[in-house]
Amino acid sequence: MVSLLRNQKVRNALLQALYVGSLAAMVLACVMIARRNLAEQGITSGFDFLFKSTGWDVNFSLLPATANDPYWWFFLIGIVNTLFLGTTGLILATIVGTIVGLARTSSNELARLLGRTYVDIFRNIPLILQVFFWYALITHLPTPRAAHEAFGMLLTSRGLYVPVPNVAGIAFAAAILGVIAAIALPLWLGRTSHLSQPFGERVGIQLTAAATALATAAIILALGRLPDLPLIDFPALQGLNLKGGMRIPPEFSALAIAIAIYGGSYIAEIVRGGFKAVGKGQMEAALSLGLSPWRVFTLVRLPLALRAMLPILANQYVWLMKATTMGIAVGFTDFFMIVALTINHSGQTLEVIGILMAGFLAINLSLAAVFNRINKAIALKGNQLRG
Amino acid sequence: MDSTLPSGPAVRIEGLDKRYGSFHALRKVNLSVERGERIVICGPSGSGKSTLIRCINRLEEHEGGRITVLGTELNDDVGNIDGIRREVGMVFQHFNLFPHMTVLENCMIAPMIVRKRPRAEAETTARRFLAKVRIPEQAMKFPGQLSGGQQQRVAIARALCMQPQIMLFDEPTSALDPEMIAEVLDVMVTLAAEGMTMICVTHEMGFARRVADRVIFMDGGEIVEEAPPEEFFTSSRNERTRQFLSQVLGH
Amino acid sequence: MEMVVVAPPAPSRLEDLKRRFFATPLQALLSLISLTIMAFIVWKLLDWAVFSAVFTTTGGPEACQAAAGACWSVIAARWRIILFGLYPFEEQWRSALACVSVVVMTVLSCIPAFWTGRRIALIWGAGTGLYYVLMKGGVLGLPYVGEEAWGGLALTLFIFVTTCLIGFPLAICLALLRRSDLPWISRTTGLIIDGVRSLPLISILFTFAVVLPFALPQWLQGDKLYRVILGSALFFSAYQAEIVRGGMQGVPAGQEEAAMALGMSYWQRIGRIVLPQAMRNALPATINQFVISFKETSLVVIVGFFEILASGNAAYGTGEWRFAYVEVYAFIAFIYFIFVFSLSRYGAYLERRMAVGER
Repeated sequence: MVSLLRNQKVRNALLQALYVGSLAAMVLACVMIARRNLAEQGITSGFDFLFKSTGWDVNFSLLPATANDPYWWFFLIGIVNTLFLGTTGLILATIVGTIVGLARTSSNELARLLGRTYVDIFRNIPLILQVFFWYALITHLPTPRAAHEAFGMLLTSRGLYVPVPNVAGIAFAAAILGVIAAIALPLWLGRTSHLSQPFGERVGIQLTAAATALATAAIILALGRLPDLPLIDFPALQGLNLKGGMRIPPEFSALAIAIAIYGGSYIAEIVRGGFKAVGKGQMEAALSLGLSPWRVFTLVRLPLALRAMLPILANQYVWLMKATTMGIAVGFTDFFMIVALTINHSGQTLEVIGILMAGFLAINLSLAAVFNRINKAIALKGNQLRG
Repeated sequence: MDSTLPSGPAVRIEGLDKRYGSFHALRKVNLSVERGERIVICGPSGSGKSTLIRCINRLEEHEGGRITVLGTELNDDVGNIDGIRREVGMVFQHFNLFPHMTVLENCMIAPMIVRKRPRAEAETTARRFLAKVRIPEQAMKFPGQLSGGQQQRVAIARALCMQPQIMLFDEPTSALDPEMIAEVLDVMVTLAAEGMTMICVTHEMGFARRVADRVIFMDGGEIVEEAPPEEFFTSSRNERTRQFLSQVLGH
Repeated sequence: MEMVVVAPPAPSRLEDLKRRFFATPLQALLSLISLTIMAFIVWKLLDWAVFSAVFTTTGGPEACQAAAGACWSVIAARWRIILFGLYPFEEQWRSALACVSVVVMTVLSCIPAFWTGRRIALIWGAGTGLYYVLMKGGVLGLPYVGEEAWGGLALTLFIFVTTCLIGFPLAICLALLRRSDLPWISRTTGLIIDGVRSLPLISILFTFAVVLPFALPQWLQGDKLYRVILGSALFFSAYQAEIVRGGMQGVPAGQEEAAMALGMSYWQRIGRIVLPQAMRNALPATINQFVISFKETSLVVIVGFFEILASGNAAYGTGEWRFAYVEVYAFIAFIYFIFVFSLSRYGAYLERRMAVGER
């Protein structure tokens, strides 16, 4: 027996069995205890509850929602809300981050100082504190009757009211797709190799494609216009309430602003790092070819910097998506808050935790897949051109 | 393992076989090394000579055949492996000194934690062997502050501090600048003169001629030729050996 | 040796300014825009925070509401609740002392002379022990104060310190397990680490605080505070484990081989040879992880703890100071900023120092 224990192979097998076995036993024990405890409260395990109606409501949803809808629909609403908030925050943060990051790499000392101050301040204050701050700020705005007005928008303690076009929902969605196409199409055309025309002609084709997509979007909007209403619906005070326009609830705007500012400070550093990674030699080579500084930037510095920052940016985006769970702090019904509410109301703890994990795994994996594709598409072939 | 040892060869290797995936690194190698014997192994790169000596202290696990070191068989028994490693010192091509410890600490750590020697004794031993490799004054420096030749001499001293019965050298001079090779070889020659059992993988044919009892030529995972140096260098029978020798000695 | 220094003719200050900020029209424009933004923000901020601000509590909230600037009197009136939460008033000096002990401990562990496993462990053990005794009392004539009364900055620091204290050794264990040669051990550990990393911290805190009691036997449930700390430590360790593993990958394989050849056992090789070098490699990333996890302690507010953020909400949320939320958040932000900024500056300094050392 003792000599058997001294055998390396036997030892290895025993260690592995012990480790995996005890972990599995722990998980199993927890699940069994949980099932017994839940059964005592009259909760049967299983996923049947998904088809029962919830009996409670959500305060923000892009999809139609009532208290009669089943749980599975609410989970879907939660995921859509998370993705919507996440994408909004991600776009805003990227815009902020790019501006600040460019300021930080600029040749101008004052601009650099400004960028650095921004990053130092907002990176070092916890995101949730910033969420609380913006939420307090928005809910302390004046009531609708004394609303601030700017560019047709109304700022009130009940949220931000923005004008919207009076257009059927489907047409609106199609028009948004058109705008996206107007941006994506020229990029795609620029990448594909069958465009072998000279540079000037190629730009012409790209511009035409963009213009066509935009025009289509405009036509769709015009066709989908609701009859007998003005083209744009401005919010306005009627009696004690605001009518018209679209309300962006304070929960959503507080989160989006905070994520944009905090995430922006991180993305600014990624942008700066990306530009720093571009080798001096490549820029000097470009300048020595007689390219103008602007062309050097767009043809050499930017493409190389983008490639350097993309993998880190992907991580940051995944992080931003997860940060939407802070919605629960101010009562925004994101995926996680739906999960928490479901546990409170239905008691189906184990199943819901399973759904939570699966949901975030799916979000993480799909984001990772998207970025892997982009990364592969733009990766430099071979290992020439290392900074 | 006892320090009073049973008689028999220091190392006996029978039918040793080793593969890395589809690459056959060692094919049925047989080798016996007597106590006090000095063996030099040479051969082109990829011939399996490093793998062979790394099997002797189980840095590589062999798949077929038997290895017996100082009367103990090297198998899956953890106690045997530990015992053999304590009695077999090794010097590497890239020194592998511990960069976060001083030279003295490098030499003291194994005797203290493996052999459980008291600190004072370990330090005396360490200083003695540092003096023997002729760098007693560098004891308090860190490896990064020494030249390659000095580092390799520290590595030899570190292995000797465990007071091993067998020393393995894995291309000890290949990573050194030419002017530093001599100082390392000098130390090795002294060691040989004192009767240490040594197995050296090296291309230093001068060293082989001077100290080796037997020179072994390996190619393609096999021992091709095995002979005393004078015979090996003057009248080798094998075509591959002669070709290799002409490449090594040719210039 | 003789040195001849020919000083260039000193440019006049005006020329220097011109060269630095107005070299080209584009530069001039950029400078002007930046200067305007800066001047505007600085002026507004100074006006709000200093010139038009109210600093004393004498006028009460009314004086504040009348003033155009900041109302720092809310801090003067409520700083104790922000820093110490609901800790008994007469005992708050203990809470303050406990915070100091944690800060001293952190500063000490930033000094290279203490960077051996044993010394760091000793400092952290002593610091945390001192904190615990001071806060909890019940010995040495200190009246007993239960965990439910802990709050404010003191609780934030406690959660942070215990998270690191539990999370760090756990991270090393996880890293070693993931790096194991035994495929089942390394794969299972990899699954755990990647699983935890794919979840948001809030969901883990929520699970440990609310869900775990269902799944544990009575005797294992413990206090909610310690469960949440455990969850936070698990999250920390999953990230830190990858950092440690990265550090280990930076240690050449020859190091472990040399240790093996000298007859060292697995634990001797890991403890004496691999880890000391790996931790040095991983130091900058580790400090960064500490910074992140300090900021993330603020998330426990969501599972209902009275840490600094929640006590801040309470400081302005009730009664007459309702309007003074900006000042309270600014105060808390300032406290976080001091901790996080100094720690991250220290990390950047270390990184630079090590980069120089490697050359």
